[in-house]
Amino acid sequence: MNANKITYAQLLETNNLIQRHADESYWLCVTRTVQESKLFPVPAYMMLSYLMAYYRYPALFRKIESRMSAEEIGDRARNMGMKIQAPGMSYMPDFYLLGREWLLNMGIIKPTDGIEDLIYVMDFWKRFSLAYHRNDAHMTNREFGHRSQILPERRLQVYHADMYDCENGDELHEAAHSFMAAASQYGFLISCESRISLHNHGPYKLGDNVEMIVRDFMDMAESDFPWLDDAAEGVEFNNITVTMAVKDCHFYLVDDWGSFEARPEFSSDKLVGVGLYYSDNLSDGHQPLGMGSREELIATFNRLSEQVREATNKLWMKIAGWSRDQMMDAGAITYFAICKDLAHVAGVYDPADWMMVDERAERFRPLLNDEYSRDVLGELCVALNPTQQLHEYSMMQHANKNTRLYQLIPYSILAGEPYTAGVGEVYPGITYLPPKKDVYTTTKGKIGFEEYNRLSRESVPTNVDPKYRYLCDTWVKYNSETPLADELYKAEQATSRCLKGKGAGLVRTDIDALHR
Amino acid sequence: MTRLYVDSDKFGGTNASATVEAFHNAIREIVRTRLAEAGGHWESFVFGKSLDLITKEDFGSVEKMMLDAGYRFDWSAAISPSERPDVYKPAEGVGDGDMAGFSFEHPEAVTAAPDAEGREQRGQGDNVARYATPCTGIARYIRSPAQVLKYLQEGVPADTIAVIDDSGGTLTAPILEQFKGVICAGGSTRSHLGILTREYGVPCLMNAKVSGIKHGDTVMIDVTAQPKTADDYQSGREVTANVWRIVK
Repeated sequence: MNANKITYAQLLETNNLIQRHADESYWLCVTRTVQESKLFPVPAYMMLSYLMAYYRYPALFRKIESRMSAEEIGDRARNMGMKIQAPGMSYMPDFYLLGREWLLNMGIIKPTDGIEDLIYVMDFWKRFSLAYHRNDAHMTNREFGHRSQILPERRLQVYHADMYDCENGDELHEAAHSFMAAASQYGFLISCESRISLHNHGPYKLGDNVEMIVRDFMDMAESDFPWLDDAAEGVEFNNITVTMAVKDCHFYLVDDWGSFEARPEFSSDKLVGVGLYYSDNLSDGHQPLGMGSREELIATFNRLSEQVREATNKLWMKIAGWSRDQMMDAGAITYFAICKDLAHVAGVYDPADWMMVDERAERFRPLLNDEYSRDVLGELCVALNPTQQLHEYSMMQHANKNTRLYQLIPYSILAGEPYTAGVGEVYPGITYLPPKKDVYTTTKGKIGFEEYNRLSRESVPTNVDPKYRYLCDTWVKYNSETPLADELYKAEQATSRCLKGKGAGLVRTDIDALHR
Repeated sequence: MTRLYVDSDKFGGTNASATVEAFHNAIREIVRTRLAEAGGHWESFVFGKSLDLITKEDFGSVEKMMLDAGYRFDWSAAISPSERPDVYKPAEGVGDGDMAGFSFEHPEAVTAAPDAEGREQRGQGDNVARYATPCTGIARYIRSPAQVLKYLQEGVPADTIAVIDDSGGTLTAPILEQFKGVICAGGSTRSHLGILTREYGVPCLMNAKVSGIKHGDTVMIDVTAQPKTADDYQSGREVTANVWRIVK
């Protein structure tokens, strides 16, 4: 039992943050289907990952924040296509909370256990999310009506100006579309059937009938995941971003799990412009990839498509030879490590932290046959477990049932009910997968993880340089004629084909004219 | 007897799944026993002593309890019954041996006698994307990595309409582009397989409820039908496309 140092305000806020996830995650679950696979034991590895999250996230986040704050990582995350956006950082609290909920249901913990951890994890997520969403000033896409406008004007202008037009049937359209299909499929395979290698944000308005969606394809090369060793040796870039201009439809939903929906439905014939970029935490923002000419861009899309097709086949063959435990490890690690890039950005990444199954979670593996895993996952995600039931007068959001996806913290701990603080430090981990090669594909080349950490600790991207970090679009609105604003925009435009040196004075119609 | 916090739950009840209920009852009994052995002090037990006292072997005993009672579990990943055939229900339709006699049989499949064009309705599904003409081909069940590997090595036979019950995007990843069409007996148009077939331009029906389609049958899927959207799912609107077997 702890000395009572938790405040009422902390509990009120933490319970609100928990409930935000409960409301949205229920909706996101019921508008999808339970994902099963004939290849991977998906529900089994998902359940294992939730326990890994519960037992490790608190200590790992404290380690990360010993080097860099959650809000600074959030600021950096906007500026690159690494896996710490939505869905990565949106899923993260869900995994932790699902682990908690499952343990509650089994009677292994009480709602009064791990309270300081819980407060910290939710606060970490809040601070990251507020910084990441700083430009649209929301905490989640859901809060913004399922929209995500994370980028400032200066970056959107570069995307808009440098994009190449295309139309259904032309060579660029074909090459871009083919790459996105191949990369999506590869992304599902890398992520053991989950969609967490893919991220979309937007829409951003390019014109009266044209919107832009920005698509990130992440963790594609030899890097953190042991199963990509050798199989992905030929993939040049770890994180690739495609900008897509789309006409004649409106993206009415871009959710926190990285999916989008449009009315009328988006189809490839509506794709009218594309751009291509690569990035990581060492690249100082998004760098153009094959954007020197239309021909170069077509050739680059085609080259990347071939790389991911070859990697898909090699990886599939590797996975087809795995044991069930190896499949479970890969899937559970994919889920649990969805926010591992936080550690890369902070320069404290250790594969022992992120690529292993904590021995406290490992104990539960014998429970996880296909049927139990399927059923318990299904129950947890739509609030059918006994612990998720509320009094009969209550009506949850979206379903009017007397249920709640995640238990709140009982306020009784402020009145003296005993509680426990947390799960403690990281315990040793195990894995059935082969040892990871010490090869990480970065924008500074293929390097070992210690070198990667060293470069990460030294890296200060322009957008978080103290001189520029707090120069937001509200400041630009009233200061665009100042030398500092010009400097800020020129820094963003440094690698732009169309905007290099143009400065801060342009508005969207100017960009449109330049683009044409 | 030692009581757990969850033993007194005013609003609780039982788990919806009998398997989950049985597992969790057994696990709670293990927790009660170990807590009593540790002296009954929860705060020193929960993240301390319990980590040594509640073991992997304890959790293994839970599944064994049901197996000893004669229960066999449903499987979803082909690797599961392959590694532990004694634990799972028999796997059918996953290899060449029993393929000829295998078929998906959904109780809600809409069937009808052949029309004048020889099209016998054998079910319906949710159309992923609209195409100008229906898609006709040869039905081939694909339910295991071994079958995918065979097609990967030998090539997918021409005009294959894959009949799958895996709505994911990984099982058929290396051969998906080679399908003429897909009938998937699960998922929705928003599932990974739905997303990928749309990206690749492969005609596809998801959530297909079919009956009596055998490996090698000539089938037609009506992908000229209206696609089923997220709005349709959310509002519960039935928007389906037909699956026919061609009988002449």
